[in-house]
This record gives sequence, C-alpha cells and structure tokens, in this order.
Amino acid sequence: MSAHHNTDSIQHLYEGDQSKLYSGVMAHHSDIQSSESKSQVKKIWKVFWILLAITIVEVVIGMFFSYSIPVFIRNTIFLALTIFKAGYIVAIFMHLGDEFKGFIVTVLIPLFLFVWFIIAFLADGFFWLRMNNESPARQNIVNSAPAPHAK
Amino acid sequence: MSHSTVVTSAPKENIWIGGRSPYNVSYGKMMMWFFLLSDALTFGALLISYGTTRFFSMVWPDPNEVFKAFPFMGHTSLPLLFVSLMTFILIMSSVTMVLAVHAGHYGDKKKVAYWLLWTIIGGICFLACQAWEWTHLHGELGGLWGTFTDPAIPVSKFEHFFNHNTAGKILQSEPLVAMQSTHNFFNYFFTITGFHGGHVTSGVVFNILILVNTVNGVYERRGHYEMIEKIGLYWHFVDLVWVFVFTCFYLL
Repeated sequence: MSAHHNTDSIQHLYEGDQSKLYSGVMAHHSDIQSSESKSQVKKIWKVFWILLAITIVEVVIGMFFSYSIPVFIRNTIFLALTIFKAGYIVAIFMHLGDEFKGFIVTVLIPLFLFVWFIIAFLADGFFWLRMNNESPARQNIVNSAPAPHAK
Repeated sequence: MSHSTVVTSAPKENIWIGGRSPYNVSYGKMMMWFFLLSDALTFGALLISYGTTRFFSMVWPDPNEVFKAFPFMGHTSLPLLFVSLMTFILIMSSVTMVLAVHAGHYGDKKKVAYWLLWTIIGGICFLACQAWEWTHLHGELGGLWGTFTDPAIPVSKFEHFFNHNTAGKILQSEPLVAMQSTHNFFNYFFTITGFHGGHVTSGVVFNILILVNTVNGVYERRGHYEMIEKIGLYWHFVDLVWVFVFTCFYLL
C-alpha cells in the first residue's frame, strides 16, 4: 500500500487539502514575492494592528476608567472587545475564515455549549451568594468564627 | 444502488461520495482543530469555575490593586502595564507564526525558519515575563497555591489586594470572608495561568522541533510544510486563550 504513495500522490493529496486562501499557490507555482502573497501578508499585519488597537483600548479603559464607568457597561465593553479579538485570531490567523462553510460550522457549533455553561454556572454562583447572605445559619457561623487579629 | 441515486440527485458535484476530502482539510489538520476544541472546553471549564467562585463571593480582589508591579520599577503603581506587555509579546509571536505558516505555503524554507525563530523568541519572552510575575507574587504572598488559609493571618496581609471603596466595609466587618476570596483568587490565578503557561511551554518545544526539521530540510523533501500549519494552529490557540485569561483576570 504505502509503496504506491510516492511523492507525487502525497503532493496531490496535499494540494487538494488547502483552504481557499492558499488553494492556488501550488497549482500556479506562485512564489513568496508574488502580489498574491504580498496582499496576504498585508492582511496579516492589518489584523495585527487591529488586535493591538483593541488591546490598547482595553488597557486604557482598565487603567483610567475602571471606576468611573458603571461596572456593567465596562464589563460589557471588555467582553465585546474580547470576542472581537478572538474572532480575528480564529478567522484570520488560524485561517478558519478561509475554510469550507461546513467545516467552520463543525468547529463552531460545539462552542455554543458555552452559552448554557456560562449562564448556568454564574447564575448558580449568584444564587449561592444570596443564599449565603440571607441564611440565618450563616450568621451563626460568622459570629462563632475566631476573630482575626486586627493588625 | 443508493449510491447511484445520490449521484443522479446531485449531478453537479457531491463532495461526500469519496475520493477527496470533503472540506479540503487533511486528517491531521482536522484532528488538530478537534483537539483544540476539547482544549477550549477545558480552559472554558476552568475560567467558568473561576467566574462562579467570584459570583458567590461577597468581595473579590481588585486586579488593579493586585497586578500593579513592573520589573525594576520598585513600588511604583503601574496597574495593567506589565500584563499589557505580555499580551503584546504573545500577539506579536502569533503574527510571526502566521507569517511562518504563510512562507510554508510558498515553500520558502529560509523564511519559515526565520519567522519560526522569532516565534520561539516571543514564546520564551512571554514565559520569562510569567516567571517574573509568579516570582513577584510568590514574594508577596509567601507561596503560590494554598496561601491565606490560616484564620490567624491579620487583615493587613491581604487588605491591599482589595479596592477599599467597594470592599472596605467587608474587610472590617468580615475579614475572614475577604481572606477566603484572596485564597480563591490566587489559587485560580496560579492554576489557570499555570495551565496556560504549560501550553506555551509545550508550544515552544513544538516550535523548536519544527524549526530543526525545517532547517534539516525534512519538509522540503516531504514537499509541503503542513506541519507548520498544524503547530501554528496550536500556537494561535494559546494566544486565543490568553485573550480570555487577560480579560477574566486582569480586566473584569
């Protein structure tokens, strides 16, 4: 079996397995100085600048506006920017955006589990906090705990 | 027989009848994606359990108070600055990695080796930063995991991790609650950044291996640089996880 796998057939299989972005490279024997290659590199650097800009915005908000913006709005901004960054990394750097739609969907659908996962667990944490604070049993525990040495 | 009906009902092109890979993704690349998917669930579980613990705590350490040190800057308060540097290094190494993958597609051996070398340097710089941060925290906490478990520890040992505008009352009335939060915060911090750092370390090792292979001409003889792509996926994933760790620990 493997004796039939000469270099040519492996090459052929490899060429068949390329994402849309690079599918023409081997067939056309393009080299890295071609305009095609240069526009791909340009796109990579563009994404780098976008990621850098988003990170700078996050850090500036974190450093100077952490306490002046309402927490809910601040966190929403942070999470939205995080999702943006993640999207750019996955779509451009990992080239998922250049794959077949079927494959993109295959990879992304399982991640929707997180929607339930996050809501369920955080809601549970919140519930526990309320229960802890309002439960009369907890007051007894706090009152009977040894007092820490102040200073 | 059913085979032929499938063909006639879709006379144009049916990608599922065999003889080709339906999504134009090789076995190795697809399995790397699925591995990363499972790894994403692991990291997700860690971060969500961190979030859950935070949600059921009355007070929580303020990252602006915990992470404000910078190497050689003494006690100057520079919140977020050091971790921004780490983030920048990791994004940069992601860019050099994607450039190595790009060069691989064009079969340019020299450029692949060049960009891989930069990626490795970036990874090592990141790990060095993390080592500094852990060492710094070790000095401040007197340990890594499992600190702040003794009720006899005075408030003065951990109150500076909190924002006194929001947590001042609890620190006074229920210092043990604040101490428990401090304990939880650092346990999660070391577990999650440690797990991520382990990924970076193995990523650097993989990068060194493929750099050696590239220089030795292994991929040139093979006719393609797909291995760079697969390790590249792993490396970008590590960067991706850091984006979330950065948000969860340092920003929120």
